[in-house]
Amino acid sequence: MNVMTLPRLIDLEDKTFDPFVVEKLATGDAEDPYPLIHELQAKGSVHKGGYRELFTDLPDTLHALNQYMVFNYDTLLRVLTDAETFGNRDAFMHTLGRSFGRTVSVMDAPEHTRFRKIFQQAFLPQTVAKWGASVVDPVVTDLMSGFIGRGEADLVEEFTHHYPFQVIYRQLQLDREQAPIFHKLAIAQILTSLDLPQGFEAAAKLGVFFQALLDQRRAEPGDDLISHLATVEADGERLPDEVLISFLRQLMNAGGDTTYRGTSALLTGLLMNPDQLEAVRADRSLVPQAIDEALRWEGPVLTTIRYVRREVELDGVLLPEGAILNMILGSANRDPTKFKDPDRFDIFRDRTVRHLGFASGPHVCIGQHLARVEMTRAVNALLDRLPNLRLDPSKPPPKLLGHKLRVPDHIYVKFDA
Amino acid sequence: MNCGWTYDETLGDPAGGIAPGTPWEQIPDTWKCPDCGSPKSEFDMVEI
Repeated sequence: MNVMTLPRLIDLEDKTFDPFVVEKLATGDAEDPYPLIHELQAKGSVHKGGYRELFTDLPDTLHALNQYMVFNYDTLLRVLTDAETFGNRDAFMHTLGRSFGRTVSVMDAPEHTRFRKIFQQAFLPQTVAKWGASVVDPVVTDLMSGFIGRGEADLVEEFTHHYPFQVIYRQLQLDREQAPIFHKLAIAQILTSLDLPQGFEAAAKLGVFFQALLDQRRAEPGDDLISHLATVEADGERLPDEVLISFLRQLMNAGGDTTYRGTSALLTGLLMNPDQLEAVRADRSLVPQAIDEALRWEGPVLTTIRYVRREVELDGVLLPEGAILNMILGSANRDPTKFKDPDRFDIFRDRTVRHLGFASGPHVCIGQHLARVEMTRAVNALLDRLPNLRLDPSKPPPKLLGHKLRVPDHIYVKFDA
Repeated sequence: MNCGWTYDETLGDPAGGIAPGTPWEQIPDTWKCPDCGSPKSEFDMVEI
């Protein structure tokens, strides 16, 4: 494919606007939300109010709505798996819908069911497994070449923050020179949740770009993901452009932003528990359960939302139609009635209860299989190529921050060069 | 095919009441996918 013919993505008008800094303001710097979460959990499953308001005075687009919070595992699972009573569209229209548009997260059945199957096809485990060698490994090697000979690194700034986004980028076969602008707009677009004009500007510019790209790839289909989605048919019809462009906006953000946080959490958990790190290094069959424990302990996305479609009682609380539920996935994953000693990172814990790091139900994360491939490849590469990998004792240990999307700013490590 | 979760006969779905080693044919029709809640009828047999 001739990358010189690709449409150009236009940067934000205000070149001084740094969406990464602003996004940190939106997600917050709460060091540990879990003591408060446990306190509320102990008092009951369902509480009046918005989760964000527990941690910041900076309002978002849900602020004025009638909100409730749901904390306990069984209650959350009931809500996530009952899409007839608890919908997505009328909740996410206030948040992700403003950023991404008409994407699957902002749909209810039957529309959701129809489109979801098409998109999931492109991200089935047997499909994304092939990306491991063809796309993920080259990105990982490329990034590691920047520090592998140095004996020290910041695994967030030099690795985790970049590699999932670059994987998506390569899979879409986009112009590598434009990667920084893509990453910037992918993050900026979610700032519509704070009513920032740059959020709307980023979403619009990504929309223009993706429309041009779709037109081009329909005219000259390749073997890339966009060509597949642009030409795939379901029931004799192609995906509407609006749905496809919205999904691509979401993919740029969801695919790039969440796995970086999950991988950072996994590395933090292992490095802070050297015995578990050594166990994984010696026995790579432990990698899948290490990943699942990281997603339980500090999943990338602590909350999601649902709309109450009819008046319903939930654990003794009568919820009116139209209420917005803040589903605290991070709370369910640390429910002491489900997970013994829930605040402890333990890759050897009992796995009978499934974590909700990818949520559950009809809207369970479409990208979870790709996330697992990426996290597996990343951890294996780091353990294979950075002998004696350990935290740098001369620098601060990693500290996850945020009340909704948590991640450490830095993971300073040393290794034998 | 809603979520890509794969039933592995050797693992079963213990939390869902399906013991390891249970052949697909013996799983009750009322059983649902542990990830997305899709019914057994929504599963496709695919070659891996």
